[in-house]
Amino acid sequence: MDHRIITGNLALLYKEAAERYDSLPAFAIRENALKWKPVSFRELYRQGLDLATGLIELGVQPREHIGLFGDNRFEWILADYGVQLCGAADVPRGRDVSDAEMAYIIDHAGIRVVFVETGHLLDKVLRLRHQLPELREIILLDPDGIPKAGARKLLEVCEMGARLRDSGDRRAEERIAGVRPDDLFTLIYTSGTTGTPKGVMLTHSNIISQIRSIPGDHNCNDRLLSVLPIWHIFERFMEMYTISFGGCTYYSSIMTLGEDMRNVEPTFMASAPRLWEKLHEKILKNIKTSHPVRQVLFHIAYFLSRQFKESEYYLTGKNLKLGKQSWWKRLLLVPFHMVRWIIVIPWYGFFNAAVLERIRLGAGGSLTATISGGGALPIHIDKFFNYVGIPVLEGYGLTETSPVICARSLDNLVVGTVGPPISETSIRIADPETGEIFYPGDNHPDSGKLRRGEIWVKGPQVMKGYYRDEVLTERTIKDGWLRTGDLGIVTDNNCLKILGRCKATIVLSSGENVEPEPIEMRLQQSQYIDHCMLVGQDKKFLAALIIPALTEFREAGFAEQSVEELSVNPEAHKIILQEINRMTSVANGFKSYEQIRDFRLLPDSFQIGHELTNLYKVKRHEVELKFNHVILELFSAKSSKT
Amino acid sequence: MEFHTQLLYAHDQILLALMIFIIMLGMGASLTIDDFRAVARRPRGVFIGFLSQFGIMPLIAFTLATVLNFHPAFAIALILVGCLPGGTTSNMFTYFSRGSVALSISMTTASTLMALIMMPVLLNIYTGGFTAQITASMQAAGGGESEFVIPTGNILSSLILVLVPVALGMLLRRKSPDWAKTAEDTAGFVAIIVIIYLLFTAFIRHGGLFLQTPVEIYIGAVGIGLSGFFFGYWFSRLLGVYPLFQRAISLETGIQNGPVAFAVILLSFQEPVQSQMLWLAILYSTFIVLSSSVITLYFRRKGKFDWDVYKNTVIHNRLFGDDYVTHYPEGFLPARLIKDPSQGSKPAQIRR
Repeated sequence: MDHRIITGNLALLYKEAAERYDSLPAFAIRENALKWKPVSFRELYRQGLDLATGLIELGVQPREHIGLFGDNRFEWILADYGVQLCGAADVPRGRDVSDAEMAYIIDHAGIRVVFVETGHLLDKVLRLRHQLPELREIILLDPDGIPKAGARKLLEVCEMGARLRDSGDRRAEERIAGVRPDDLFTLIYTSGTTGTPKGVMLTHSNIISQIRSIPGDHNCNDRLLSVLPIWHIFERFMEMYTISFGGCTYYSSIMTLGEDMRNVEPTFMASAPRLWEKLHEKILKNIKTSHPVRQVLFHIAYFLSRQFKESEYYLTGKNLKLGKQSWWKRLLLVPFHMVRWIIVIPWYGFFNAAVLERIRLGAGGSLTATISGGGALPIHIDKFFNYVGIPVLEGYGLTETSPVICARSLDNLVVGTVGPPISETSIRIADPETGEIFYPGDNHPDSGKLRRGEIWVKGPQVMKGYYRDEVLTERTIKDGWLRTGDLGIVTDNNCLKILGRCKATIVLSSGENVEPEPIEMRLQQSQYIDHCMLVGQDKKFLAALIIPALTEFREAGFAEQSVEELSVNPEAHKIILQEINRMTSVANGFKSYEQIRDFRLLPDSFQIGHELTNLYKVKRHEVELKFNHVILELFSAKSSKT
Repeated sequence: MEFHTQLLYAHDQILLALMIFIIMLGMGASLTIDDFRAVARRPRGVFIGFLSQFGIMPLIAFTLATVLNFHPAFAIALILVGCLPGGTTSNMFTYFSRGSVALSISMTTASTLMALIMMPVLLNIYTGGFTAQITASMQAAGGGESEFVIPTGNILSSLILVLVPVALGMLLRRKSPDWAKTAEDTAGFVAIIVIIYLLFTAFIRHGGLFLQTPVEIYIGAVGIGLSGFFFGYWFSRLLGVYPLFQRAISLETGIQNGPVAFAVILLSFQEPVQSQMLWLAILYSTFIVLSSSVITLYFRRKGKFDWDVYKNTVIHNRLFGDDYVTHYPEGFLPARLIKDPSQGSKPAQIRR
């Protein structure tokens, strides 16, 4: 039974959720590990109406853009409620926004009223104020912060609104009634992995279509644990979706995640691949330090689970199908998998119950599905979690598609892919150069499946366009098809597999095209490599910039205290060289031109907001800019190092 | 059906004894003194469980043995199985069937102690007719005045003997929780290995045994567990027990402590009945694992909703304070789950 509220816009969603779910908790705020403060749907809506009325009183017009700078906290959601309920749209950005970005966003979006989360952000806005003649009101979210220079506190605006509502002010209700499906609910500035910030215009009908068509069966018994930045569309959509079925969102943080998972016992969560990598590392470490008998039991259990799941996936057609399989091969393999499945099932049943359940309890034990997005999940991590019985549903999307395009569901769990397109959504695979459509195409074998190309998408989630940039909008959306700039392939069982960014392709001077991402992912599987990026555009050979994993080196007995010291240690270079040779050898399926001929250890870890996106994707152009001298030195004079 | 050779050789018996020791040690390792105190905290559930385990189960066994016209040795074995206390296996199955593990543990603890009194008493009540049959056939075979009686004293002492490793396990738990966890994990694994080994050797040595065994013996061995689940479920339902407890009672009723049966049979009974009794105990132990797995999967699916409500309210109380009351929208909760006490301090309600 599905319990989602589907309305015409977010303001109506908030209203109906308050009526239907009433005193159930909508959000929970952590005070300490076992003390959380719930805020009910009714209370949140009431406060939202107060804030909306306060904003109207401050002169906010329908469809106006309101800045919202800050990270996950209850007041963020309250601000969003206020903005939606007065018929405006918010322009969100995280706490780590740079001066230049903030000034650009406020100016470009024509923002007159801005919410800032902390005193620090308030100082930042005040510093930039002279460049921003349009800016009129600054509202501070932090209830403990001190407003200055004419800034107001959130509470103050709410109280003003509450007084007006007490005396019969119903302008907020009029605003709600006036929201059109085509109005923006948010304007998100994204730099993504390339270029200057672009304002992505997302409408109410965009986000509502997502709530309507995402696969899943949830109700008001569900608990969402929130760790990703709220202003990121993936997390934001998950929270809106949670409101639609009356679930509660618990605000956690990276620091307290492990503890919160055990106490909140979330039933689902949104997360980025990096989070799963960390959790995977932690689980393996715990196993390594556990009792020897239990280590053996774990390995037996994992082995059995792998046999069982592989056969199950094969028999139910959920294996990764990157090629056509001949009928005689199937004829041999089907009985093999059937026999294996039957032999393994009792043993798997026992070990699954006795051993793997303990691992699942480490993640709270109630996770029915976890959704990974915002980057490619390495396949060994993907397999690990699915084999131990924590189903990871990888999805694929962009800010421009609010965000989900494809998602694996529990019924369609093909490990290694991002699943089929969600309902009402169509995809195409096209030649990135010529625009020739491979999939779906009648004049190609298998209607264009298994052909690699750029992914195009069409559906109700596709953005209205880039704000005040018609040229870019027209270049990105043609005839309703949005060009994602990602390379993909449709598998034989109709799932999409992401291969990398079109633009990330490195063309060597020999003319060979190298997709760096699979090689980078492979290298990052090494415990000694934290991050890496390949370079070599127009060069004779491929080289790598590598951030060594300090903790692992220290555990291996190195005395260095920082990545910087490590980067000049010849022993560390030796180990990394061995790792590169081991990971990307020709024997491992890498072609000779995909070999890394040289590398440099970087003196400095990648930072979120600088070289990494909030979802831990490497921003190539940032790294290239910052370490330009290293790259130049790498390729200078010498041809190749053996 | 008569056994012409011994079912188990001496070394099998040693193996079996070792298994009983390890399993009972594992059972003890999973218990604490607090589990005994907990019995007093939920007397109603434990009492209903007690009625179900020592009232319904032996009656089912007796009825099955009579209706299926069992050979007396098998009949006595089946009744013995029916009178057994619950084992720790039921706790694990209860956990996965989304039932109340706390109640399951309390029932296991209580029934293990109560078995000291109940087993000898119940065996004497229900087996009277069957022992007379054995006596008659022994005398007819030229046994003179010899008489077959239930060795009550021996049963009692073997029950006490079985409790020794349980006590040792509890001691281990106090000394080293880490080793206790390992002992617990190992016990389940050992049980499966030994039962499979016994089935396997029985198959090798007496291949015909499986075919020779009349179909009604199979029906009895499978049926006693399934009937236990069924009657345990509906009996507790009739008494107004809530779903979470209902599933625990159902599984606790059907799943008996097999190793105790082996111990009692080995230590208290002789041939000609011993091998037949052991065979039935082995069959029961095998089939109960299969039928509990199936029932558990069924309960797990059926109980998902009330389990989710239970979890959600418990977590609300854990995080928002003991006084927080979860109010669900009207029409969301079925009447049975409103104010369900198994949900903890402040059970879910619907909105007024």
